Amino acid sequence: MTDARRTELEQLISRVALGDRRAFDALYDATSAKLHAVCLSILRDRPEAEETLQEVYIRVWQGAARYAANGLSPMTWLITIARNRAIDRLRSRSARPATAPEDAAAGIASPDPTPESAAILAQERRMLHECLAQLADAQAGAVRAVYLEGVTYADLAQREGMPINTVRSWLRRSLLRLKDCVSQ
Amino acid sequence: MNSDAPLTPQEEDEALAAELALGLLEGAEAQAAVARLSQDLAFARSVREWQERLAGLADQLTPVMAPARARQAVRERLGHAVAPLTRDPSERTPWWRGPIGALTGLLAAAAVVALLWLPGEQPADVPGYQAELVAQEPALRVAARVEGREMEVALESGAAPTDRDWEIWWIAPDGSAPISIGLVPRGGSLRMTLPEGLDPAPGIRIALSDEPAGGSPTGQATGPVVAVAELTSL
Repeated sequence: MTDARRTELEQLISRVALGDRRAFDALYDATSAKLHAVCLSILRDRPEAEETLQEVYIRVWQGAARYAANGLSPMTWLITIARNRAIDRLRSRSARPATAPEDAAAGIASPDPTPESAAILAQERRMLHECLAQLADAQAGAVRAVYLEGVTYADLAQREGMPINTVRSWLRRSLLRLKDCVSQ
Repeated sequence: MNSDAPLTPQEEDEALAAELALGLLEGAEAQAAVARLSQDLAFARSVREWQERLAGLADQLTPVMAPARARQAVRERLGHAVAPLTRDPSERTPWWRGPIGALTGLLAAAAVVALLWLPGEQPADVPGYQAELVAQEPALRVAARVEGREMEVALESGAAPTDRDWEIWWIAPDGSAPISIGLVPRGGSLRMTLPEGLDPAPGIRIALSDEPAGGSPTGQATGPVVAVAELTSL
């Protein structure tokens, strides 16, 4: 995402925080197709994804005032809300307790949202795909499935034919390796 | 990193932050991690960094436009718009709903129609395109028109069977995956603002596929393409 686009989205979100409906419409135009894709990727069901997308934008309208303090980039904030809502709905299908941390982390004020740390994170995002390619296929596939399909440890254990604890320790090591790689 | 050695405490924290960001924790462990967010700023920052890092995974998802009714529903749920037939009839009619308003509205509508449709009256800096999607089997005719970033799609004949929908796809000439831009309405026309990244140009093709009611469940066309046409300059 270019800096100009990031700034534009940040300005829209601040106007939304003030109750500006035109800014809200513009934010919807600019971002809803992506967030709808996130909901579809996790839910694989058109009507449910559409319903979830509505909940996402209601939450965006209600939560915009708290956005400025959390230090996330605008697309990350929006994608995280969409992903968490979609996962809540996915897990409510199977009556599993919802485990998405709502937007808890995003609600905590960031102590130091410095431009330098934003630049470092932007760099890390560019490295992400390269670093995923360096993991074994099964590991990279598991990270993608967890993020983009809302797969749980229990699902992974079944998929890989391994006990849950083994799968967990395997995925945790993959995530740590991914972090080491992107933050080099 | 040795794959057998236990994780160091720092690695444990980092892994926990990643799991919280991913929604992988359950029960008491999830509650404890959420509670820790407000007490341990370093942990909260790790979680945010994971959210930022992982959001890059969504880059690979192809945007899929939601049907226009989704936006209308959001507006209604937030009280930004009133659903049809929900106004209290005992309410006093505001002037713009009275006869003078109707006349003003008609004049305004006529002005807009004149601006949009009269030959030679179109603003020169707004590029316009159209595509006519026609098929014999099933017989259908759909008109698409783009003015600037506004797109309008109208069914002229041949609505989809009741349990099916015609889904509209935007296909760029670079071979990238088709992007869903909505469903052909059963009556009237669908108007939308094109999302960022969809730039009208000659060579773009518009296609219709036959999908289950509500559209493709996967975000990619699942049914046969029933019609396809290229955007041509107006």
